[in-house]
Amino acid sequence: MKRIGVLLIVLLLALHLIGCGRKKEESNNFEFATWAAGAELTDLREIVDKVNEAAAGEYVIEIQSIPSDYYVKISTQIAGKHSPDFFWMTQELVSKYAELGAIANLTSQFNESERLKPEEYYEGVLASATYKEKYWGLPWIANPMLVYYNKTMFEQIGIKVPTPTDDWTWEEFIQIARELTGKENYKGESTYGYVVDGWPNIETFIWAGGGDVIGEDGKTILLDSNESLKGVGYLQTIIAEGLTPRYAEIASLGSNNVWFEKQRVGMYMGGLQDNFEEKVNKMSEEAKFEIGYAPMPVCDDGTSWSFDWTASTVMKKDLEGNKLAYKALEDLTLAFFEWKVAPPVKNSVENVVKIAPLKDKAIETIEFTLLGARSANYVPEWSDINDKLWYNLYVKLLNDPTFDYKTEMKSIAEYSRGKIAARK
Amino acid sequence: MRKQSAGFLFILPWLIGLVLFTLAPMIAAVYISLTDWTIVGEANFIGFDNYTHLFQSEEFYKSLWVTVRYALLAIPLIIATSLAISVMLDKGHKGVGIFRVVYYMPAIVSGVAVAIVFKWILDPNFGLINSILTFFNIKGPDWLYDPDWVLPSYLIMAVWGAGGSILTYLAALKDIPQDLYGAAMIDGAGTLQKVRFITVPMMTPIIFYNLIIGIIGAFRKFTDAYVLGGAGKEGNFIMVYLYEQAFNHYNMGYATALAWVLFAIILTLTIIVNATKKYWVHT
Amino acid sequence: MSFVKSQKPNSLYISNEKIRFRKIAWYVSLIIGSFIMLLPFLWMISTSFKLEDDIFSIPIKWFPDKITLDNFKRAFEVVPILKYMSNTLFIAVGKIFGEVFISAMAAYGFSRFKFRGRNFLFMVLLATMMLPYEVTMIPTFIVWSNLGLTDNYTPLILPAYFGAASFIFFLRMYFETFPASYEEAAIIDGANYLQIFRKIFLPLSKPALITIALWAFMGTWNDLLGQLIYINSTEKLTIQLGLASFSSMTGEVFWGPLMAASLLALLPIIALLLYAQKYFVEGVKMTGVKG
Repeated sequence: MKRIGVLLIVLLLALHLIGCGRKKEESNNFEFATWAAGAELTDLREIVDKVNEAAAGEYVIEIQSIPSDYYVKISTQIAGKHSPDFFWMTQELVSKYAELGAIANLTSQFNESERLKPEEYYEGVLASATYKEKYWGLPWIANPMLVYYNKTMFEQIGIKVPTPTDDWTWEEFIQIARELTGKENYKGESTYGYVVDGWPNIETFIWAGGGDVIGEDGKTILLDSNESLKGVGYLQTIIAEGLTPRYAEIASLGSNNVWFEKQRVGMYMGGLQDNFEEKVNKMSEEAKFEIGYAPMPVCDDGTSWSFDWTASTVMKKDLEGNKLAYKALEDLTLAFFEWKVAPPVKNSVENVVKIAPLKDKAIETIEFTLLGARSANYVPEWSDINDKLWYNLYVKLLNDPTFDYKTEMKSIAEYSRGKIAARK
Repeated sequence: MRKQSAGFLFILPWLIGLVLFTLAPMIAAVYISLTDWTIVGEANFIGFDNYTHLFQSEEFYKSLWVTVRYALLAIPLIIATSLAISVMLDKGHKGVGIFRVVYYMPAIVSGVAVAIVFKWILDPNFGLINSILTFFNIKGPDWLYDPDWVLPSYLIMAVWGAGGSILTYLAALKDIPQDLYGAAMIDGAGTLQKVRFITVPMMTPIIFYNLIIGIIGAFRKFTDAYVLGGAGKEGNFIMVYLYEQAFNHYNMGYATALAWVLFAIILTLTIIVNATKKYWVHT
Repeated sequence: MSFVKSQKPNSLYISNEKIRFRKIAWYVSLIIGSFIMLLPFLWMISTSFKLEDDIFSIPIKWFPDKITLDNFKRAFEVVPILKYMSNTLFIAVGKIFGEVFISAMAAYGFSRFKFRGRNFLFMVLLATMMLPYEVTMIPTFIVWSNLGLTDNYTPLILPAYFGAASFIFFLRMYFETFPASYEEAAIIDGANYLQIFRKIFLPLSKPALITIALWAFMGTWNDLLGQLIYINSTEKLTIQLGLASFSSMTGEVFWGPLMAASLLALLPIIALLLYAQKYFVEGVKMTGVKG
C-alpha cells in the first residue's frame, strides 16, 4: 500500500514537471516585471490588459510580479540571461544599471517620438532617468514631498497657517515647529512640531542650506561645502531642541506618519502617496482634524526644491533600438499616467483629482511642488555614499544631537571623492 | 570488503547530487571571488584584490566581531536552554504533548515574522519587556536603539527560539534505556545527578550535532538581524554585511570572497570541534 | 536483547507528597514558559481581529474593543491564499520523500559502515552547509535557466532527491546512538544491509524521521528566496511570496491582513506538529526490538 502511494506521488510529480516545460519565446511577447503585488497588482493587470487590447495582437505584454527582494530577482535574471523585457526601476539605481550595461539606452527613440516627448516631462523628474546626458527609462510616477500640516491644531494654538504656495523659509518653518512643540492634543498628549527619523532624507536638509551631495556633473562632491554643512545644521537644531519625538520613540507608534495621524505632531513632510485624507475620513469625530498643505520651505540660496521619488520603466539591453518594444513601452507608460499620482508629465495635474479625489484641496500645492521636484544627482557609487550618509551621519545625529556632524560630513566627502575617482 | 562497497552505495545518491548541484556552483563561486563581478555587468579577473580589500576593511572586522561575540554567548545558551526544556518535556505527565507543540512553536514561524514581533517586544517605550519593567519601577534600556544593548536583544531572541532544537533532543531522549535510570535510582541518585551522569552523556551525539549546527547558524545569522538592525551597527552580522555588499551594492565578487572567508572560519571551528569529539561524545 | 521498562522506581523512595509537589512545579514552570513562547502568536491572533486603528494603540489592547473579520476578508481579496498554499503543499509533498528517504540512506551509509574516504566525504558534506546560499544562488540559477527550467518547480523539487546535508548529519548522529548488536543479530539471521536498513533502522528511527520530515515541510513552507528566484508566473507563486504582498515597496505594511494571512498560513504546520508530536511520546525503539 505504502509503496503504491510513493509511486503515485513520484508519477504525479513527473507529470507536473513535464506539464510546465519551457514557454516558447516569441518576439512580440514582452515580459514586464513589477514590484506591484496584492491589490496594486490587480489594478496593474487591468491596465496591462487594456494596453494589450489596444495593441490588437501587435504585441502582448505579460506581467511578472516580484512581491519581495525585487532587485535580487531582477539582477539574478539578468545574470542568467533571462532578463524581463521591461521592468520598473527606482531612481537611485538607474545610473548603476546604465553604467554596467544592463539596460537599454532609449535616447534616440525618446527624442524622435511624437507621442511622448522629453519636453513633456517635468525637468527634475526626467533627470532621475538621465545619466551621462542619455535617457535610460521612461518615468511613470512623480512623488514629490510637500508639507502636510494640522490646520485644526494651528488654529487652536493661534499660528498663522502657510499658504498653498507659501515662500516660507527653513528658519520660519523651524520657528513654527517650536510653537507647536510642548502643547497638548485633543487627548491631552504632548505634541511636537515635526517628525524626523531618517525621513525626510538627508538630501532635503542638505539642499535646505543651498548645498548638495553631488553636483549636476555627477562628479563634483559638494557634501562638505558650507551650504551643505549649514543645511544639516537645521536638522541638528530640530533634534537638539526636541522639536521632533526622540528617535527611539518614533517606531513605537508603528511608523512616523502615525504621529501626524494621531495629532502628536503638527507638521509632516510626505509624498502624494500618503493618504492622510482617507484615514482622517475614517476617524471618529473627536479624532478628526483638518489637513492643510504647503510647499517645502525655500532653501537658503532662494531655490525651492522638493525631493521627488520617481520610478521609471526600463528596457533590457538586448532590446535597444527595437521599434516594437519601444512602442509597447511607450503605450504602457502612457497608460500609467492615468493610474498613479502624480503623473510625471506637465499639464496633467487635473489627472490627480481624477485618480485621487481626496487630494483636491492639495492641488494648488501639488502643482507648485511638481515644478520644483527633483531627485539627487545619482551616480553608480550612490549606494556606498548613501550608506555612509545614513549610518555615519544621520543615525548618529538622531541618537546624539551633539554629534560632530561637520567633521563627519567632511570625511564622507573625502570617501565619496575616492569612490568616484576609482570608477573605471 | 563487502561492507566497504555497501556503505559507499548507500551514500551514492547524495554523492551524485553533490557533483550535479553543489560542486559546480561552488567552483563557480571560487572564480567569482577572484573577479569584480557586479551581477548585472561583466566579470573581470582581478586576482586576490577582493581578499586584500576585505582584510583591510574596518567594516569586515566590525561585523566579524559582532558575529563572534554573538556566537560565543548564544551557542552555549541555546544548547543549555533547549536541553533543559527537552528533559522537562520528556516526562509522561498529562498534557505534555501540548507543551511540546507550544515550545516548538517559535521554530515554525519564519524569521521575518519573529523579527517583527520582537521589534514590538523590545520597543523602548511601549514594548512588552519595558512595560513589565516599568510596572516594577525599573527604567528599561533602549534595546536595539542603544549600541550596548543590541547584543543582549539578539540573545533574548536566540533563547526564545531555542525550542527549535528540542525535537532533536526528544528523539534521542526516547532512546535512553529506562533501566539505566532505574539502576541509578536504586543507587540513590537524585534528579540532577541522573541528568548529569545519564542523560547528558547519552545525548552527546545529538549535542555534538547541535553544536556544529549552532556554529553554522550563528555565523550565518541573517534574517532577523537584516530586518531589525541595531544601533551603532551592532546588529551588522557578517551575513548582513555580505548580503548588502552583494545585493545592495552589487559587489558580488567581494561578497563571494567574504563568503569564502566565512566558510574558512566555520570549517576551522568545525574541524576543531570534530577533533575533540572522541573525548566527550559517547558512542 | 531486551530492555525491561523499570516500574516506577520513584515510588520506592519518594513519598507521594513529594511527587505531587514536583508535578505541580512541573506544570507551573511549563505554563509560565508557554506563555512566553506563545506571546508572538497571541499578538498575531489579536492583531488579525483588530481594526487598523487599534493595532498600535498604547497601551497594547490584547482584547480589542471591536472584533472584526475584515482583515481575513481583505487578506483573501488581495492574495489567493488557498491557491498559494496548495502550490506550496505540492512542492513540499514532492520533496519530502526524497529528503527523508535519501537522507536516511546516506546517513546509514555514513554511520554504520567503514569505507575509504568516509571521514573526508563526511567533512565535505558538512562543508556544503557552510558556504552561504546567497553566493551560490546565482550560479545555480544560471545552470537551471540554461536547462530552460525557470518558472518551474523542478529546480525546487529535484535536488531533494539527492538528500539534504543537514538531515544526513542529524540522522548520522542519531544512528550512532544505536548499539552494534542491532545489526549483528540481523546478519546472523541472514539479512542483507538493505533489509537491515529498511526493516530495522527505518522503523526504529521513527521519531527522528518524523523530525526531519517536519523540518523538510517547514523548510519548504517558509522558504522565500529560493521560490522567489525560480517562480515567475503569478499563478505559480507560493505562500511566503503571497505574504510578502502585504508589505509594499515603499515600506508600508498592511498589518491586519498580513497577520490574518500569516495565521492561516501557520495552521497546516501546527496541525502537522500536533499530529507528529505523538510519535515522541511513544518509546518506539523500546517496543520495536525483540531479541
